[in-house]
Amino acid sequence: MKRSLGLLLSLLLIIGVGIAIYLSVQEQMGNRSKITVHGLIGSEKEEFFKDPRVLAALQRLGLTVQVEKAGSRQIATSFDLKLYDFVFTAGMPAAEKIRRDRHLNQFYTPFFTPMTIASWQPIVRLLVNNGMAEDRGGILFFKMAPFLDAVKAQRRWKELADNHDYAVSKNILITSTDVRKSNSAAMYLALASFVANGDNVVQSDADIDRVMPLLEGLFLRQGFTESSTEYPFEDYLVMGMGKSPLIMIYEAQFLHRAAAGDGGITSDMVLLYPEPTLYTKHVLLPLNEAGARLGEALTNDPELQRLAVEHGFRNQNIAYFREFTRQHHITAADTLTNVIDAPSYEVLERMIQRIEQRY
Amino acid sequence: MSTQGGFKLGGLLGVLCLTLLTVGCGQQAANTLTVLAGSELEDLKPLLPEIQAGAGLNLELRYSGSLDGAERLVAGEAVDLAWFSHGKYLSLLQGNRVISQEKIMLSPVVLGVKESKARAWGWVDNPNLTWRDIAAKAGSGELRYAMTNPASSNSGFTALVGVSAALSAGGDASQPETLDQTALKNFFKGQTLIAGSSGWLAERYIAESDHLDGMINYESVLMELNRDGKLQEKLYLVYPKEGIITADYPLMLINADKREAYQKLVDFLRSPGFQQKLMEQTLRRPVIPQVKLSADFPKQLLVELPFPNSLEAVDRLLFSYLDEQRIPSHPFFVLDISGSMAGDRLNQLKTVFNNLTGMDQSLTGQFARFREREQVTVITFNDEVQPQRDFQITDPKTQSQDMMQLREYVNGLNARGATAIFSALKRAYGLAAQARQNDPQRYYSIVLMSDGENNAGISQNDFLAYYRSLPEAVRRIRTFTVLFGEADTATMTALANATGGRVFDSRKVSLSQAFKQIRGYQ
Repeated sequence: MKRSLGLLLSLLLIIGVGIAIYLSVQEQMGNRSKITVHGLIGSEKEEFFKDPRVLAALQRLGLTVQVEKAGSRQIATSFDLKLYDFVFTAGMPAAEKIRRDRHLNQFYTPFFTPMTIASWQPIVRLLVNNGMAEDRGGILFFKMAPFLDAVKAQRRWKELADNHDYAVSKNILITSTDVRKSNSAAMYLALASFVANGDNVVQSDADIDRVMPLLEGLFLRQGFTESSTEYPFEDYLVMGMGKSPLIMIYEAQFLHRAAAGDGGITSDMVLLYPEPTLYTKHVLLPLNEAGARLGEALTNDPELQRLAVEHGFRNQNIAYFREFTRQHHITAADTLTNVIDAPSYEVLERMIQRIEQRY
Repeated sequence: MSTQGGFKLGGLLGVLCLTLLTVGCGQQAANTLTVLAGSELEDLKPLLPEIQAGAGLNLELRYSGSLDGAERLVAGEAVDLAWFSHGKYLSLLQGNRVISQEKIMLSPVVLGVKESKARAWGWVDNPNLTWRDIAAKAGSGELRYAMTNPASSNSGFTALVGVSAALSAGGDASQPETLDQTALKNFFKGQTLIAGSSGWLAERYIAESDHLDGMINYESVLMELNRDGKLQEKLYLVYPKEGIITADYPLMLINADKREAYQKLVDFLRSPGFQQKLMEQTLRRPVIPQVKLSADFPKQLLVELPFPNSLEAVDRLLFSYLDEQRIPSHPFFVLDISGSMAGDRLNQLKTVFNNLTGMDQSLTGQFARFREREQVTVITFNDEVQPQRDFQITDPKTQSQDMMQLREYVNGLNARGATAIFSALKRAYGLAAQARQNDPQRYYSIVLMSDGENNAGISQNDFLAYYRSLPEAVRRIRTFTVLFGEADTATMTALANATGGRVFDSRKVSLSQAFKQIRGYQ
């Protein structure tokens, strides 16, 4: 009796330990594969992270991602990054600023998108007639040099020749975001600075002194500008060409909307490629291992790479992009040749500071 | 390995938090949002139950004027969200506390003109009509319109920024030196009814449209008046060629802890179903392309004018309006200095005038103070009406001779005796009638402040008989009454109603606050 009780107790103990080990291993494995990752993103990637297909693909890899959005340049200055696992900004300069300020080394660039200009059929006709835009094989190119000349001369829309549709007394300007807060405006500054500097990347203080008087006007004369690229693009979708005839946006914003087929992009709306243009790389900076896991997933998982293209982004795989534009009957430049490099981080910062002082 | 442990702990904490949320404070705290809302959003009240049910949240709305609201946010008022007709002024302020914002609906600020006038002036379906044409009609006295005070209310403020941009050489309002001051002065000659709130302005327009030709307000307010058949004559909405400025009603996150609830609310408000309803019921334009503009709205191109990019530029526009462009104001302050006012009450009254002569350096204070070109008459009363004092403000600086004299006078007042309210008010109308005859190009108004009941001089009926005997133009001078201490609410309300004025209850805010609000109506 005594012995059988001892045996029973031993047996129970063994079973108990077994269950405990099993549960522990289960838990360990569960924790390893399933984590919640919390990050700050540029607003242009919000829809990507809200897409159920993206969420499912991430879940499959054990990742639940929670995001808050902010202007890419604001992320660098106004947030307590201790609260997050990653930041996902638009643009190398903003990423570089965060990297330096927060002493981070690792980064991922899972996708990129060229800077483009959203406009309207009647505006494009007007631009073509006045030598500021060109139709080459169905793709529309916006010529930065004559545009900057018009800005320099403070010309207004109503002063353009052959103007029947937009005889408005507003100044000829491209609507951008606030260059102090948002990457797309910084990219606009970068590409305008190249043209203003005689098709050379701005490098020296002398270059900066020479180009700034013109470049300041591109931003200051707009009046109030918003902090994030989704806002002017939203206005473009609902307020018509009276609000802004030309808006500096990411190509991805336009393509994604056009592919959605929800009536947001109408037949009147046109995408222009500035000449030259430059790419905005979307840079993910992991702040810990969880963030790094997300960076790996976005860079290497074929399904996530394909979904990024569905959201209008480009990546290493041009076949995805071609299939996407063909499938949705979207006219987009297949490859862009006239792509320039942004000035160095320091130079761009100095130019932005110059504008900041004028506010 | 250590990071692994870290994640594990994080996950555990997450589960704990979730449990606490659902079991504990979840229903109450996490689902209730306090919202500091502009008074122009009061028309959404009927939709609130649906919004709360749709978003699964409780909303506690506190209404406020726009500048007042901005000041309260910067001062740190505890609130989860803010919602005004636009957020650009706020976002230019230092320390505005706005974490995130999303546009909820759109309504441009435009001019509504009586249809008969619009037709007679060739403004109907005229794509070439400009703000300059409107300024000319206002300058000649043919166009008399209602518009709120730009320093108190967003509709007036938005209109001022738009008109300034349209009437400037540079095509925007960011350089005050390029403003066409002559055209702007002409434009504001037509501002015949001034108010501190767009809702009250619309009410008064309905009551007084026989001597007004139009009103500047949100497109939604003007369209609603037309739709609801409240007007003797419909208003024709004018969208001048240079452009307009559109209010975009951003919902702003102030308390970071409420981000999730905020997002739920934004998602509901911007859902196609609710956007459609919002458009149909409140006649504001949708902010998502899935909802198409209904046939109620005009289809023409809406040119959007630029908004200034710095606080300095905006403030200069406001000061330029107050000091140079608007019709100069002549307020009559009828002040009770009876025995019951002695002590703290009289001191509060003195504070009011110290503030209005420049001692209040706050955001709202700097706009509420007496301005250049203003004529101020103070009439005090106790057993009988005391001799009035007139002050001409030529220099609005706090330490100027003009401001100091006014301060010294009020600081020297003593309280004693009885309360001859109606005799004093009769004196004010007599003086105002005289002043108006000598100088018709001023905006006249009367403020009556008392802390008790009439117990000396003429009676209420005597006064009303006298008031009715006055010429029509003088009867249009409004009396704004201030309830203070044991003021007779019924009498003060009746007086405000009889003269087209409004009652302000200082006991709910403070005497200074009530006077500041009244300044928006002068």
